[in-house]
Amino acid sequence: MKSKLLLLIFICASLLNAQNKKVVHPNLSGVSCKTCHSCEVPTKENPCIKPCPRDKMISIDQSPEEGPEVLIIDKFKEQSDIYAPVAFTHRLHAEMSGMSGGCKMCHHYNPPGQVIGCSDCHELTRKRVDVSKPDLKGAYHRQCMDCHRSWSGKVECVSCHETIGTSKNKKKQPIGYKGKNRVHPKIITPDKIKFDTPKTSGRIVTFYHSEHNELFGLECQSCHSNESCVKCHNKNKSASLKVKTTEQKHAVCSNCHNTKLNCSSCHLDTAKPGFNHKVSTGFDNSKFHSKLLCARCHTEKGKFKGLNNECMNCHGKWTQENFNHKITGLVLDETHAAIECAECHLDKTFAKPVCNNCHDDISFPKNIPGKLTKKK
Amino acid sequence: MTNQSRREFLKTTALIGTAVTGLSSKTNGAQTNQLSEDRMGVLVDTTICIGCRKCEWACKTSHEMETAPLDSYDDRSVFNVKRRPDSKSLTVVNEYLNNETSSLPIDVKVQCMHCDNPACVSACIVGAFSKKENGAVIWDGDKCIGCRYCMIACPFQVPAFEFEVALKPDIKKCDFCFERTKIGKIPACTEICPVEAVTFGRREDLVKAAHHKIKNYPNRYINRVFGEHEVGGTSWIYLASKEFEELAFPKLGKDPAPGVSEAIQHGIFAYFVPPIALYALLGGVMWINKNKKIEQGEEN
Repeated sequence: MKSKLLLLIFICASLLNAQNKKVVHPNLSGVSCKTCHSCEVPTKENPCIKPCPRDKMISIDQSPEEGPEVLIIDKFKEQSDIYAPVAFTHRLHAEMSGMSGGCKMCHHYNPPGQVIGCSDCHELTRKRVDVSKPDLKGAYHRQCMDCHRSWSGKVECVSCHETIGTSKNKKKQPIGYKGKNRVHPKIITPDKIKFDTPKTSGRIVTFYHSEHNELFGLECQSCHSNESCVKCHNKNKSASLKVKTTEQKHAVCSNCHNTKLNCSSCHLDTAKPGFNHKVSTGFDNSKFHSKLLCARCHTEKGKFKGLNNECMNCHGKWTQENFNHKITGLVLDETHAAIECAECHLDKTFAKPVCNNCHDDISFPKNIPGKLTKKK
Repeated sequence: MTNQSRREFLKTTALIGTAVTGLSSKTNGAQTNQLSEDRMGVLVDTTICIGCRKCEWACKTSHEMETAPLDSYDDRSVFNVKRRPDSKSLTVVNEYLNNETSSLPIDVKVQCMHCDNPACVSACIVGAFSKKENGAVIWDGDKCIGCRYCMIACPFQVPAFEFEVALKPDIKKCDFCFERTKIGKIPACTEICPVEAVTFGRREDLVKAAHHKIKNYPNRYINRVFGEHEVGGTSWIYLASKEFEELAFPKLGKDPAPGVSEAIQHGIFAYFVPPIALYALLGGVMWINKNKKIEQGEEN
């Protein structure tokens, strides 16, 4: 009897424990408690969270808009008599982090759920027992200085802080505070870049940056996913240029292009003209398809060959019933709307219609079988 | 050095003399350190230090030493020469070029290491140096006679002498902010450091934290905590991304520095040998001379 009772209590306790986990970490199904906690039963009083490893941590990314816009860091107001608080443009930095490591660049301890702020783990007072992680002031400055000193080498406090007592700022806004809705200024991207490579034949590689992000619809992050801040913010450009191996140079292209074969498709002796669908493939996509993403037609990822220029490839069979002729800029009159497409469009690409199947002295575009809705 | 009267000094010396000659046949080394389990230390992470030199300013300010205004510390041209702590600055930061892979320099703060077995304490013949329970090695101006043995004994060559002061020169070195820690504050440099590249805490905890860092970031650090074992261990311990000797740290063994110097000193002074030898020598000279005189007398 006694043993049964004990068993019952044990089952109840373990059930309660399991439920607790769900309540505290709703998104953590399938993650073992031991990933983060060092003891068997973490409690609120003693969560026994393991010292944070920066890597191998479960991480989530949120969009910059989900975080705060500007943070006024004035937690040390009471302690500091030299420097005034600073305004940290969180949104701005979150946006930029997208091209580097994402949220976890700063929020290195970042389990699923809500993003954890610095002060949740880092203590406000420097004199403390747990020295395994820096205090809050140290943690903040390390995050800032890690990047900010990398492009100028400067570490002056006054580039972020105002010195107390010398302030000419009457609004009492921290230095660098330029309004709440500050976003990153538009990034000026190059149209094309001509790389002069050390190859003897096929020296020049022309890279059309604008095509890649405008025409091919690539996001900045598609290629710039692990950049260091210096890449854009360095004032001394040549200093940050590192010697790259051939492999490293090709790595950014080889995500999409096969860089092991067909060197000559990129490496030419002269600058290469930009991509033109009509010239390269024979299919003029500038009329009706210019706004489409490549993947709408080229459905298989990375495969762009094998489609011919017949409309049926994508559109299926068009009939007079399922095709809204208005889209071409011409609303057919009643007589013509009832005729089968192929009566006028002999060509499989539905190019210029012919009229002499039915009419003798009528021709397109002199005569129009309906009403034009827009100028061509 | 200044307030002790001549009479008191002679008294102390006489007492020591009596103790040495009268009571012990073998001289004793420095008293075994009362190393507290809870003694404090500082972990300097040179990969984090940004070389802002605020520690230098805070050190001077808290020790009421003369200092240039705070904003003048932004001048990075001081890094063009490698500096040492001296009588006017108890701590300095030096900057070293990093490897080719990183454009960021390495900044290294230098000050007294506060050895667990300090050579200065051992070398000081009047007991002006002492190792405190909290780990600090401090200097007592009332006892110092200005012999500067401490300067020679220190494996890190830290104690500095105020040569420019004619009348009341002091030995100057980092005192681990003994006056501040006494009233519950932390050392001035560790308080001001914006990035907490210098962490104040129990030495034992700091050693653990340092090894944890090395384990977590094997690419960031070399696998060595300088000061954990060097010269028997120091209160200030260091982490770095490249060999410490390349960052102007002295190459040191694991044996406490006093062990070496004391072995020589005590070896010489053991069993009261030198005075006896000296008297024997003098006696011998006298005896020879006496014999000579006698011979000469006989001849005359």
